[in-house]
Amino acid sequence: MSISRLKFLATGLAFIVAGEATAQMTSDEPPACTAVMAPTGELAAWITPVAVTAAGREGRSSAAPLMVGQAAQVTLLPTPEVAYPVRPDKPGGSVSYGGLLRLEVRQAGTYRIALGSGAWLDLVARGKALTSVAHGRGPACTGIRKMVDFALTPGRHTLQIAVNGEPQVTVMAVRLP
Amino acid sequence: MKAARIILPVIAALCLVAASAPGWRWALPEGVAPPAVPADNPMTQARVELGRRLFYYADLSADGTLSCANCHVQRHAFADSVATRGGVDGSSGRRNAPGLANVGWLTPLTFADPGATTLEVQAVTPVFGTHPVEMGMAGREGELVARLARDRCYRSQFARAFPASGGRIDFTGVARALAAFQRTLVSYGSAYDKGRMTAEQRAGQALFQRDCAACHSGPHFTDLAFHRIAAADPAASDQGLFEKSVREADRGRFRTPSLRNAALTAP
Repeated sequence: MSISRLKFLATGLAFIVAGEATAQMTSDEPPACTAVMAPTGELAAWITPVAVTAAGREGRSSAAPLMVGQAAQVTLLPTPEVAYPVRPDKPGGSVSYGGLLRLEVRQAGTYRIALGSGAWLDLVARGKALTSVAHGRGPACTGIRKMVDFALTPGRHTLQIAVNGEPQVTVMAVRLP
Repeated sequence: MKAARIILPVIAALCLVAASAPGWRWALPEGVAPPAVPADNPMTQARVELGRRLFYYADLSADGTLSCANCHVQRHAFADSVATRGGVDGSSGRRNAPGLANVGWLTPLTFADPGATTLEVQAVTPVFGTHPVEMGMAGREGELVARLARDRCYRSQFARAFPASGGRIDFTGVARALAAFQRTLVSYGSAYDKGRMTAEQRAGQALFQRDCAACHSGPHFTDLAFHRIAAADPAASDQGLFEKSVREADRGRFRTPSLRNAALTAP
């Protein structure tokens, strides 16, 4: 691995910091990029997303699965059409977009949710938003705008995406080693 | 549906709260005079309630993602937790969003614009400004008004806040309501204000008076004047007061920030 490659990875990792998700929208501005770079490691599949349509209500989110390790190009709904099971800290205006995805966790561990925008995300289990263990920017110039880590136990979770400025966003959930 | 059933009564309750409390009474410590309030924007409960809701209303931005509260974060004493924040168009931010504690007493309001003398005037900058773009609504005032007018609760709140105009919804009303709300962001509860400082804090105060209070003076710890604390750099991306005055002497001059709630407003 070249030195520049190591520097790149170090840069990407340096922006993950321990802390609650309440700070997840406080990530600083992304660096200027001259070219898009593919992420590596667990996030390598980021560049090959499958199409998923988010649900507007929790009962229907079974139709909108987010598979661990598989990136998804998610089509969102206008915010007024989304009934969030837990009110997002930043719900967004009527012209923003959001939606719900189902995340099935089969193995306990730390999971990272990567997002291609600065949207607000919550992971909900048994009616409560979980507290994240770390958050930060994605690796520079990969298109991953933010990453939020959660310590999860097996079971069904609902990923809430709120206050997105565009009707589509790329999302990926990975289990960290 | 369950969420909608919960939200609607809450909105209705907020509308009733706004309607049921005319007039305004300041709750200030003894000896503290209320801030100056423009004659054409008297404080009323209805305006404050409307302004509070607008402060958290992301539809004031082009894509519905940014409200005043995104940069003026309540848990950070209405300051931002990052140095700068990009606008809705992806462009870079330029200056740190200051805390809003006691902002009703401050004029000029911003770091490098002597023309921003009232909160009503200042509201234009984040919503419609282009240097930098923040909320990105330049040229879209009609769309902003249409968004508000679509909302039944806003129609009701504007009617109560601005009865003389028949509840007309326009940006003048938005700015006035936001200003009324911000004038309620009052901070006089510190140990310093109450005269209950520890010995260590009093020692710090003595150092502060000697080394800092030349600029961070008065009850809000700002002299509200523009200063340059380093050599002027014509190549710097932010020229401060010069950008408005175009006077060479103003290069790199910025208004002294208030230190109210400084423990919460970093960076």
